[in-house]
Amino acid sequence: MKKLFNTAETMVDDMLDGFVSAYPQVKRGVNDSRVIVRDSNVKSADDKVTLLIGNGSGHEPIAMGFVGQGILDANVVGDVFAAPSADLILDGIAEVSGAAGSILLISQHSGDMINGRGAVMMAQDEGINVIALPMYDDISAAPPERKKDRRGAAGTMFIYKILGAAAEQGRSQSELFALGESARDRIVTLAAAVSPGVSPLTGLPMFTLPDDEIFLGMGVHGEPGVGRVKVGPVSELVAEMIDKLLADRPIASGGRACVIINGMGGTTMMELLTIWTETRARLAKDCIRAIAPMIGSFVTTQEMGGFSISLIDPTDDMLALWCAPSDTPSFPKITQLEKALSS
Amino acid sequence: MSAEPFFISLQQKFTAQMVHLNTLDAAVGDGDHGSTMLRGLSKAVAAGDTRRAKAFMRASGGASGTLFGLLLIEIERHLDTGAALDSGLSAACTRICDLGEVKVGDKSMVDALAPAVEALTADNLSAAISAAAAGRDSTRALVARRGRSQYVEDGGKGHIDPGAVSVVIFLETLAETIASRAEARS
Repeated sequence: MKKLFNTAETMVDDMLDGFVSAYPQVKRGVNDSRVIVRDSNVKSADDKVTLLIGNGSGHEPIAMGFVGQGILDANVVGDVFAAPSADLILDGIAEVSGAAGSILLISQHSGDMINGRGAVMMAQDEGINVIALPMYDDISAAPPERKKDRRGAAGTMFIYKILGAAAEQGRSQSELFALGESARDRIVTLAAAVSPGVSPLTGLPMFTLPDDEIFLGMGVHGEPGVGRVKVGPVSELVAEMIDKLLADRPIASGGRACVIINGMGGTTMMELLTIWTETRARLAKDCIRAIAPMIGSFVTTQEMGGFSISLIDPTDDMLALWCAPSDTPSFPKITQLEKALSS
Repeated sequence: MSAEPFFISLQQKFTAQMVHLNTLDAAVGDGDHGSTMLRGLSKAVAAGDTRRAKAFMRASGGASGTLFGLLLIEIERHLDTGAALDSGLSAACTRICDLGEVKVGDKSMVDALAPAVEALTADNLSAAISAAAAGRDSTRALVARRGRSQYVEDGGKGHIDPGAVSVVIFLETLAETIASRAEARS
């Protein structure tokens, strides 16, 4: 597979050089060049709680693309598909921490949890006020009674945005943590993979899948999920996924759901918009209004083909925060606009 | 005081033991424990004071880099500042169990570390080393419950855990470092 890189050793830093020079909202950290920090309308960390997350690279634009006003204060960038080390995350925490405190968001995967929580312990030893909020939403990773064993997937973007907007309003660390836990309880995600991404390190596909099969519930690195299904009409696939999501966390008839349709890198906007159409129609069948959608490829795994559907049954507060303005390199404008189903 | 002599000595030991540790790891994991530790220790030697355990974490990478790094941070702090070793190692052990979701008997580094912490008295490491070595040897009969070794045949039963071997080397090297400091003073 052809890939456009200089060398394996420099590919992450080459990307970061391009990123910080292209966007006014971000810059590299003072103490560690693998930390991307917010550089526009920055408020004092003594007044505003700072939010950050660490993740392996190769999944762009998440999470560095969400650094900026109204979302993240920093992103700690690890090597390709590798969680950043605890000391690197500690550098990120130290970079943005202040008297108002910080929250380290962790998308729940084993390495991210160990290194992220280890970093928080080390930061606390140094007198920094920081706490960790694990995020998990992938219903295929564990049944509802073991929700805490689920892994983080694209639905975690609801938490980034809702907490980011709330932090910008000046809410306290404990209020934000409680809001984050409450949002997490309301989020469900299910993914469908159609073709593998190619690792930039090895040049090899990250899993194999026959041409006529779709893998339901596969994680972003090709981790197993529900199992294989035969390719059929997208309406049937989406209906099956929504059935599973609503069975996991029901939404009352007459209710509403904010929706994320996330492409994994190799699925076109043409396909994602079709998936949105089907999602909206299937939810309408249960008298659930699909509102304030986020549609596009945000949590990617190179050119992996596939998508995920994430739903949140928001409180009024969460909905307002989800739709609040933000200014980052990659987060889209979310509008609350509700159109009649026929339009 | 600097922790540099400790890390230099540790690097020398892991250079000598690297192939042996990789071989032990090949039976229960992915066969790179010795190489991973040595990569981290080489950076720790090159780093400045108070940054050595952190440099180890960065260079060795992965979850094991963090777990062994948390232990090295306490040792480094003791050697740098004279901070109490018993409470430091005890805190590291608690954190490693918490983060790694392991307890004694799960066939891991904790099988050597926990009894060492239990046996450690303020100024006597030899009892801790004996306890760690006994714990290390006990891992041969154990079945792994966490980490990669849980997926190998019989959970790695019959093979000693390389992480437990490394913990004993850490403690032996620490005792030697402290002894040579005392010698230099007298």
